[in-house]
Amino acid sequence: MSTPELDAGAGHSPNQEILRLEDVGKSYGNVHALRGVSLSVRQGEITCVLGDNGAGKSTLIKIIAGLHQHTEGRFTVNGEAVRFGSPREALDRGIATVYQDLALVPLMSIWRNFFLGSELTRGSGPLRRLDVERMKRVTEEELVKMGISVPDLDRHVGALSGGQRQCIAIARAIHFGAKALVLDEPTAALGVKQSGVVLKYIAKARDAGLGVVFITHNPHHAHLVGNHFVILNRGRVSLDAGRGDVSLDRLTNEMAGGAELEALSHELSRPGSTPEPAAAGRTTTEN
Amino acid sequence: MSQAVQAAPAPPGSVDDRVRRRSLLASVLSRPEVGSLVGAVAVFALFFAVAPTFRQAASFATVLYAGSTIGIMALAVALLMIGGEFDLSAGVAVTTSALFASTFAYQLNLNLWVGVAAALVVSLGIGAFNGWLLMRTGLPSFLITLGTFFILQGVNLGVTKLLTGNVSSTSVSDMDGFEQARAVFASTVPIGGVSVKITVFWWLLFVAIGTWVLLRTKTGNWIFAAGGDKAAARAVGVPVRATKIGLFMTVGFMAWFVGMHQLFSFNAIQSGGGVGQEFIYIIAAVVGGCLLTGGYGSAVGSAIGALIFGMTSLGIVYAGWDANWFKAFLGVMLLLATIVNMIVKNQAAKR
Amino acid sequence: MRTRSRRTVAATFVALAALTLSSCSSSGGRQEDEAPAGGAAGKADTPTMKIAMITHAAPGDTFWDIVRKGAEAAAAKDNVDLNYQGAPEAGDQVNLVQQAIDADVDGIAVTLAKAEAMAPVVKAATEAGIPVVAFNGGFEEWQEAGALGYFGQDERTAGEAAGQRLTTEGAKKALCVIHEQGHVGLEARCAGVAETFGGQTENLYVTGTDMPAVQQAITSKLQQDPAIDRVVTLGAPYALTAVKSVADAGSSAQIGTFDTNADLMAAIEGGDIQWAIDQQPYLQGYLAVDSLWLYNTNGNTIGGGQATQTGPAFVDASNVDRVAEFAAGGTR
Repeated sequence: MSTPELDAGAGHSPNQEILRLEDVGKSYGNVHALRGVSLSVRQGEITCVLGDNGAGKSTLIKIIAGLHQHTEGRFTVNGEAVRFGSPREALDRGIATVYQDLALVPLMSIWRNFFLGSELTRGSGPLRRLDVERMKRVTEEELVKMGISVPDLDRHVGALSGGQRQCIAIARAIHFGAKALVLDEPTAALGVKQSGVVLKYIAKARDAGLGVVFITHNPHHAHLVGNHFVILNRGRVSLDAGRGDVSLDRLTNEMAGGAELEALSHELSRPGSTPEPAAAGRTTTEN
Repeated sequence: MSQAVQAAPAPPGSVDDRVRRRSLLASVLSRPEVGSLVGAVAVFALFFAVAPTFRQAASFATVLYAGSTIGIMALAVALLMIGGEFDLSAGVAVTTSALFASTFAYQLNLNLWVGVAAALVVSLGIGAFNGWLLMRTGLPSFLITLGTFFILQGVNLGVTKLLTGNVSSTSVSDMDGFEQARAVFASTVPIGGVSVKITVFWWLLFVAIGTWVLLRTKTGNWIFAAGGDKAAARAVGVPVRATKIGLFMTVGFMAWFVGMHQLFSFNAIQSGGGVGQEFIYIIAAVVGGCLLTGGYGSAVGSAIGALIFGMTSLGIVYAGWDANWFKAFLGVMLLLATIVNMIVKNQAAKR
Repeated sequence: MRTRSRRTVAATFVALAALTLSSCSSSGGRQEDEAPAGGAAGKADTPTMKIAMITHAAPGDTFWDIVRKGAEAAAAKDNVDLNYQGAPEAGDQVNLVQQAIDADVDGIAVTLAKAEAMAPVVKAATEAGIPVVAFNGGFEEWQEAGALGYFGQDERTAGEAAGQRLTTEGAKKALCVIHEQGHVGLEARCAGVAETFGGQTENLYVTGTDMPAVQQAITSKLQQDPAIDRVVTLGAPYALTAVKSVADAGSSAQIGTFDTNADLMAAIEGGDIQWAIDQQPYLQGYLAVDSLWLYNTNGNTIGGGQATQTGPAFVDASNVDRVAEFAAGGTR
């Protein structure tokens, strides 16, 4: 499983479906965190999941990543129904999740982080040991291939910038043969330039044939790279559209609360001023 | 927007000039145990200068023995701390193991080796229980092992009293297996006219194994990850639960080893012993560069920390300083070692 | 994978069980027909009397175990319902005495190690008509506090006896090993030694809860000062550890100690340890209970208003045979 498979999807149809959720729901006791969510992720495409805080995004990620189990509906990977007991099971199915804040262990070096959980070893029995040289070499190759430059592989990850960390985590997921990549708000904590770098890598992952689930609450970032858009609102899907069917304005508007916001803007508008741009402007600066 | 990306395929190191590749010196200085090494050299130099007896080879063997009895436990405690947990029951667990081995063999009239083996099972069991309860409840290990600490303290006393009618275990020096067990756990090895306790060699072996495991095996990677960021480690598939339980069991194993050493050196065990030792182990690990918050530290560091403790506690005696002030000297020495450690680490971080 | 590990576990258990069955120790170990410890004299026909014994003992101290055995032996003989309690903190000890007063017991035996804190509650007990005797601690203060009698050994006197013995032996320099820093009784013993010993006395503080550390500290002291020709420890287990230290350091120092236990007797018989000062803890517990019984049934006071000294008595090669027999039973 350690061989690099950057062009894993090359021999298949570029639009083969990898993940599929049908009417998936999750309830904690009486609280329904997620209800009737359906979405699909295809190879070489990016599915953006948008939603405000509390919309159910993190529950959705946890189900896909194997941290939680869904209580309703069907979750299929490559056409096979699954219910993951641990993140390891999800990883074994080729689903890699990159979290916004817990992507890497800060006090460990870059190469150790890169191979964490999937270390390369040599020797056998009690002499089985880490193949440090090979791990460092592969890490460097992979980072260069992705266009990420780091000064020193022995440096602690904690000393790197947020963008660099996200990129390393994404490069790691791609290297370990992920078929589907789940990105949890990778740009949320980043500045404009850093966000651009990360979006570029997301596009690279897509071009490498991965199916990407891009979770964000920034419609601008989503619209730059997305093929499909799903907006969650209070645990339900409020919009599900392909790239051709939705404009950035509509996306922004829907994301901002759609009809509710329109009503609010009418209420707040004064004669002579146009409410729409104001609403759009407000949402983009919200983060 | 994409300037940085365009430039990237160039060799690493040429892109962002804010972070340079570190020099060899800086890399060495960034090791966790370097600060404690400087501290150890300072303590050694101090006592070498003021205490003539300290310079003798025999005295150094005694210092090494002191280092070993603390260091063997400090090693396991350091690994556990790197893995992000504490064990406050580590001190009394030593006594529990020794009491169990002697009482079990004595009461059932068995060969002592059976008691030794049974005590190993019990010690590993205590460790596994600590780890399991921790992972099961999610409570801080501080609380859980504080509970175990009191339980073991009470059981040590209660069971010993119940079975022997006394508060110390009965002497086992005339039982079968005693001589062989003493050869393994508590003998003395003459080297060039100096008698060195066998625990010193066991200690060096354990530290070597600990270093190997930490730096060169998957398990070591998992220990750092489990202590550094539990959630991140779990997310990439590190078996955090098994790693932590394993670490507690390692503490159990070392407690067994030190317990056996005490049993076969002193023949009988005081049931109230070991209380307060858990902090000595933690101090040795911290002086050796372990972070209290986990995810950082080294096996060699724990050994240096234990050696500093041994040198200080015996050096005060060798120097003939007023014994009334013993604890105060000890405290000052430990603080200085910790501060030196911190300064060195900060200097290294700036490079 | 799972079945294999299960099989390993099962195999381990079988192996362990087999070992257990086949590997009996041919020497040592528990003997089946050990006689129960303690005196088994006849029983008094006086009505059952409730007596509370309240000490400043921390749990897990061999010494107090023997005190308690003595008290229990007297209680069994005198038809006494004995309630034994111990609290190292003065405040807790005061509370325990107060509880005994509230329970309206027929007598209280109390240690006055912290006499100033204890005096008021002892007065309260005597005012409530409950006879109180002091034992072990409070040699100076028991009369003032209002106790009927005192049974024990003055720590300082015991230390002085040890010092005199060292002088008689012609020793030059003694090392007094204190296993609990700041303990008044232990400090008094070493001060007593220094007082009467003609040679030099030096104190060494060790961590009593960590036996290897005790051994290392004594070894290092003997290495540092080869002039030391006597080691005096203040508890039996520490004397046995000092034997190892003396060997490790290649010193020729002889060892004397305060307090005894069974292993120590063997060491005196074997010549590893020269002597032990016995303050007869069994006797302290026994006399405390018995004196209350005598006072309540016949108005007697043991000691007749004077302190009854239970020590210092020396155990050495000349009398160890006699004492060792009882020490094996845990009563000396």
